Amino acid sequence: MGYVDVTGVRHTLPDGRVLLDDVSFRIGDGVRAALVGENGAGKTTLLRIIAGDLTPEAGAVARSGGLGVMRQFIGSVRDDTTVQRFLVDLSPPAVREAWDALEATELRLMETDDEPAQMAYASAFAQWGDVGGYEAEVTWDTVTVAALGVPYERCKYRELQTLSGGEQKRLALEALLRGPDQVLLLDEPDNYLDVPGKRWLEQRLLETRKTVLSVSHDRELLARVADRVVTVEGGTAWVHGGGFAGYPEARAARHERMAELRLRWDEEHERLVELVRTLQQQAANSPDMASRYRAMQTRLAKFEAAGPPPERPPEQKVAMRLRGGRTGVRAVMAEQLELTGLMQPFDTEIWFGDRVGVLGSNGAGKSHFLRLLAGQDVAHTGSWRLGARVVPGFFAQTHAHPEWQERTPVDLLWHGEPGRPGVDRGRAMAALRRYGLADQGDQPFRTLSGGQQARLQILLLELSGATLLLLDEPTDNLDALSAEVLEQALAGFEGTVLAVTHDRWFARSFDRFLVFGSDGRVYESAEAVFDEARVQRAR
Amino acid sequence: MPDTAVLRTLPDDSIDAAARRLSDEFRDRLGPQYVRHIVQLARQDLSGVPLGAIPELVERLARTRLTSAA
Repeated sequence: MGYVDVTGVRHTLPDGRVLLDDVSFRIGDGVRAALVGENGAGKTTLLRIIAGDLTPEAGAVARSGGLGVMRQFIGSVRDDTTVQRFLVDLSPPAVREAWDALEATELRLMETDDEPAQMAYASAFAQWGDVGGYEAEVTWDTVTVAALGVPYERCKYRELQTLSGGEQKRLALEALLRGPDQVLLLDEPDNYLDVPGKRWLEQRLLETRKTVLSVSHDRELLARVADRVVTVEGGTAWVHGGGFAGYPEARAARHERMAELRLRWDEEHERLVELVRTLQQQAANSPDMASRYRAMQTRLAKFEAAGPPPERPPEQKVAMRLRGGRTGVRAVMAEQLELTGLMQPFDTEIWFGDRVGVLGSNGAGKSHFLRLLAGQDVAHTGSWRLGARVVPGFFAQTHAHPEWQERTPVDLLWHGEPGRPGVDRGRAMAALRRYGLADQGDQPFRTLSGGQQARLQILLLELSGATLLLLDEPTDNLDALSAEVLEQALAGFEGTVLAVTHDRWFARSFDRFLVFGSDGRVYESAEAVFDEARVQRAR
Repeated sequence: MPDTAVLRTLPDDSIDAAARRLSDEFRDRLGPQYVRHIVQLARQDLSGVPLGAIPELVERLARTRLTSAA
């Protein structure tokens, strides 16, 4: 039994803007709710408030059944966190605290082997048993076998950064779905998962009896799993009581209703103001009208004090202008190309204007292939070359740009880089405005949401004059609207596009596919292939 | 049949094994009876600790106490 009750929550950003106001909704027992909204609308902030990471300025969050949280960064962990530490962090607070005490007393015992240290260690051990630590370790073993194919004892000291993004996500999901917490908050659980992984996730979420609130931009996953849709927009939240299939219609109807109510309020307000003005003139000439004038003034004051109904949320305006340019007829040629240890040699020719979906399982070498074409140093044999006037532009999967972390979008646009001239502040702001990033122009890159980082990367591609777009999971962090805008921009791009994607919706816009099979074979397909088995690697 | 249950206890190997090793270790300074007594006290003090960890912790605690006494 688990539920989440959010009542009157308000949150203000450090710059004074109100991000969320009067947010109220309930996610009842066993409900699978999706939390949707445009990038930067406050979805992750709301999840952090529900998780207890942030204290709301007003309002309250009540919940029961134990809370398990999967944070957005899982999938891009690049520090020295081990599998063991990762699983501890996903455990209930009592298990986490007992583990930390056990580690601390063990360390103390190694430094000072006296009686108090031994008794503290023994006590921490007893506590570990009491809070269910041994049962947790049994669960972790099941989890690592399911997610990674190896027992816990064999992988517990392995660093998480040696796992792919999909493996990290799967490890977290297995731990939460098999763990004791009855309410799960999942922030983009499907990112980095390949399609079999997404199908697995859909099935597990359909089977679980836990209460789930998840943020996802995958339109297919939302359509299959969600039975409620909580929308964060216009600084507040509302709930659609059905699945995702009827959601766009419900949202449009709500927006129309809001616009209608606001229009009526404005008309009534105008009428009352006019009446007050007329009565004021009449009261000047006729003392009898003075009391009616005062009554009307009071009525207007009350009407204004009650305030207007909320305005219809503004539509997000993102205008991408990926222009490209004419190149040689052959854009990419590869002969007996083999990425060392990842695939068998293959030949391919990609023509100017082609839209090529690069598909296959995690770990099959797709990202390496794109990085090679982008000019990065990737071990390979065989030959490859780009055609005349082909200028590659690369969109990285994990937004792995450590050199950008402290720089602002305006700064990145101002300075330019080899192949991309810098632009002045005015042009930079105009470009950022087209991408819905004007308010983030002076924020460090690391503080942008995943979607904002993705949109900035696409803007940089636009400005680089690339004629060959190499996109590694470009829709992963984009909200549904921005993903559609990207699709439209790609449709109008004069050039060649190669995109690694696991987005089934996005893949429909491609006309040929290069499939990286789990057996190391690379082959062409006219249809999207999403059921390649997971690549088995030695562990 | 009488309506009673008999709680069967298993011998605690940790005490015997630790007492044997520590008696040997402290043979020159402490008597075996005293060593066994200290081991038993250590075992009592460690009640509640998961069984798997008991032998090591009992022996370690008893050794510390015996070292102080010797």
